[in-house]
Amino acid sequence: MKKSSIIGLLVIAIAIAIIIGFYGSSSTYGSFADAKANSGELHVIGFLDKQKELYYDATKDANYFSFYMKDKKGQECKVVFPGTKPQDFERSEQIVLVGEMRGDEFHASHIQMKCPSKYTQDKVEITEASAKKADL
Amino acid sequence: MDTFKGEHLLPGQLGQLFVILSFGAALFSTISYYFATTNKDPLDNSWKRMGRIGFYINTISVVGIGVCLFYIIYTHLFEYHYAWEHSSKSLPVYYIISSYWEGQEGSFWLWGFWQAVLGNILIWRAKSWEKPVMTVIGLSQILLSSMLIGIEIFGARIGSSPFILLREAIDLKSSAPIFAQRPDLYQNYLSYITDGNGLNPLLQNYWMVIHPPTLFLGFASMVVPFAYAIAGLWQKRYKDWVQPAISYSLFAVMVLGTGIIMGSFWAYESLNFDGFWAWDPVENAALIPWLTLIGAVHVLIVYKNTGHSYFTATFLVLISFVLVLYASFLTRSGILGDTSVHAFTDLGMFWHLVVDVAVFAAISITLLIIRWKELPITKKEEETYSREFWMFVGAVFMALSCLQLIVVTSIPVWNAIFKTNVAPPNNPVTLYNVFQAGFGVVVTLLMGFAQFMKYKKTETNRFFITTGVYFVCALLITVLIVYVTGIYHLRIVFSLIMLGAIFSVLSNGKVFADALKGKIKLAGSAVAHIGFGLILVGAVIAAGTRKVVSVNDTGEQYSAEFAKRNDPKENIMLVKNKPVKMGDYVVTYMGDSLSMPNHYFKVDYKLMGDDGKVKAEFLLKPNSQFNPKMGLVSSPDTKHYLLNDLYTHVTMAPLNSGMETDTAAHSEADDDKNYDAPIAHEVSVGDTIRYREGFIVLKGLDKTAHVENIPMTNKDIAVGAILEITTHGKTYTAEPIYMIKNGSVFDFSRKVEDAGLKLRFSKIDPQTAKETITVYQQPENKRPYIVMKAVRFPYINFFWSGTVIMVIGFLMSIFRRNKELKTV
Repeated sequence: MKKSSIIGLLVIAIAIAIIIGFYGSSSTYGSFADAKANSGELHVIGFLDKQKELYYDATKDANYFSFYMKDKKGQECKVVFPGTKPQDFERSEQIVLVGEMRGDEFHASHIQMKCPSKYTQDKVEITEASAKKADL
Repeated sequence: MDTFKGEHLLPGQLGQLFVILSFGAALFSTISYYFATTNKDPLDNSWKRMGRIGFYINTISVVGIGVCLFYIIYTHLFEYHYAWEHSSKSLPVYYIISSYWEGQEGSFWLWGFWQAVLGNILIWRAKSWEKPVMTVIGLSQILLSSMLIGIEIFGARIGSSPFILLREAIDLKSSAPIFAQRPDLYQNYLSYITDGNGLNPLLQNYWMVIHPPTLFLGFASMVVPFAYAIAGLWQKRYKDWVQPAISYSLFAVMVLGTGIIMGSFWAYESLNFDGFWAWDPVENAALIPWLTLIGAVHVLIVYKNTGHSYFTATFLVLISFVLVLYASFLTRSGILGDTSVHAFTDLGMFWHLVVDVAVFAAISITLLIIRWKELPITKKEEETYSREFWMFVGAVFMALSCLQLIVVTSIPVWNAIFKTNVAPPNNPVTLYNVFQAGFGVVVTLLMGFAQFMKYKKTETNRFFITTGVYFVCALLITVLIVYVTGIYHLRIVFSLIMLGAIFSVLSNGKVFADALKGKIKLAGSAVAHIGFGLILVGAVIAAGTRKVVSVNDTGEQYSAEFAKRNDPKENIMLVKNKPVKMGDYVVTYMGDSLSMPNHYFKVDYKLMGDDGKVKAEFLLKPNSQFNPKMGLVSSPDTKHYLLNDLYTHVTMAPLNSGMETDTAAHSEADDDKNYDAPIAHEVSVGDTIRYREGFIVLKGLDKTAHVENIPMTNKDIAVGAILEITTHGKTYTAEPIYMIKNGSVFDFSRKVEDAGLKLRFSKIDPQTAKETITVYQQPENKRPYIVMKAVRFPYINFFWSGTVIMVIGFLMSIFRRNKELKTV
């Protein structure tokens, strides 16, 4: 066999391996219900329930943070994160969790927040406007 | 038309004029250069002259845009959206430059600026290549200029202008309803906009002043080899384009590589993701074209020396630039959305960016197809024992490693195209590490043994003996390193890449040593290879064996919830002035220092020897910035040693609320809530009061005590209790006062903030001659504290020094190739 054909075959084999490796390792976005049905890690997108308690007390345990999140289907679940409370967590508009269900709690190994305010903040602060209004 | 008070419209109008002019001039220049290229009459230089004039006007306009934008930001004209969004009055001048590239428009401008500079260099240097090469550069300049136009054509907005006004960008009437009701206020809206949003605190770092310009110079310079490749195909000059393309490719990979590592250094020094590389899509987007162009440089050299691999060389050069554009699509179109934390958000330029990629991809593919039959592709196979064959294999492997990066990074793109809902891998870092290390093993081994081969044909016996000797040496060194650093705990692939990296350093070291005896100018590639090998050595050890030092092993602080889990606990809490043992260190949170807007936490490190004595002591000052609009942003501080770094950052601090408690507006009763229930002690002078964290000695009574602003008469009595507090090896004094004035009893408490104490002198009993001292202790959660994480990065200096060596290698190669260019 010619050398170029060997290399060609090798390249194709590795390309296939890459794609299989990609599908093997990729996961799916799901809901809390899916997390309950399946074991293993998965991604859940949702929103922080700002009415319920955010629990973080560094003096008790600097690596325990819990909160309640609603997934996109509206189901709510307690989430436990073994780490410090991410900065600015309360301001998050959307949260992506990676983790798994343990009992009734979702144990997140990774939290990604989307705070659009950090990068685009298209709202004018009008605090000055209301303060100055009096003397006009 | 509404008229508005206080707006400065001239700089924006001038800037917008330059925007339109730069686009028009680029268009004019490209068309002229196109006809100059296709013009058959060699004496007719009129098209070329027009092309040059067009490009000069474009360059002047691009500079004009930059000047106008700088003026707007520098003079705080917040009527412009860009200035309002990305800067503020408190921003130091040198960070005004950073605010240029916080927004997309500014970074497009930067790219266009570098491309204009490179275009002028080419007009000056490219000689016979000027016409076709400048046609391509001009086309790229048209597309870049169009990104800044920001005008609506047929209902679709083309590009996004940095000179758009705040009131045009944002509907002020809906965000401030008062403006809708009162037109008189709306006309005067500018007087309410007192300051801008300010620059993201993370970008307020000196690396952020130089990293983006370097990176964009790298991106911009990748158009040059691309333009040469296109020109070569177009003009059927299949051989001549390679030599200048090698020089410019080397320049591009050098600058882009430096830019990437600068970004990595910035991340390491000022971001808190505990490392220097996170495989974030934005990082990958810059790395992908770098890898393909590195591959391209190697096959270009192969082609130049042997005539083999023509197609691969052309293809890799072309795809590298298309991938640069694809990278800009990924990071700027908003498509990465959920998967990246620092991509730009969409500015409505999604399809514009797609067109940009499609135009250059289409040109490349079309030309390759049209010229396919004429391409100088050799029918003869390369020799197995030839350098060119293995360089070719190496380039193919680099391209494959890119494929893996592209496939995984582009998940959101696949989702958008195929309407699927695939999430990114749960553990992308491990996935990338393992795959890329696998490719790295092959590439580094090739980098090693290809050095012992010659072009065309190599004598096999000699080759096997030398390679064998060096390989065995590399193996011995690797075993030692793997054993000492503990890499063997990791996956086997990381030990293998260590072997490959060491092997390539050794064999290139030999080439370098040989070059020292002969022509030092030829050593460039060896130096660059050694640098690259060292980068890998440093990266594998530092990332693979990085160790969290701040292990929380206090035991009792585990909640029931956590006792079930055995997660490594990586953050420790430090209460002010209370030393905590952390690994070999005793760390103490000493206090804060403010240098607005940064809030520095002073953390004292004492390295303890086995004998219990302090071997070394140093202070680290990680900082946090509480930005009212962006929240708490922390930056680490790092103690650099020659062989390892100790990195510390604050993950949690009661900063935002803590600021308010300093105001003295609290009543005494409220204040007491911050303390545990008081304990009263009856003592005499010389007695000792024990409390949770130390002891207090009543040293004596001060009969002449007085309180400021309270006049005393001779009937009044004021007595101070002189107290000496000893806690955690430190001594403080305090003097609470007991006072009888006009027959009423008062007492004035004293606080020792650093010890978390409040002390009252609450009673004097004349019969027993005993004094009552009431001790208020602050519970730990009311005392100032920080939660911090400390990580040790071993041997990370290999990573940084490898980078410097690699850049030196690139520079040497560029000089060498330029010499060849002149003589040929």
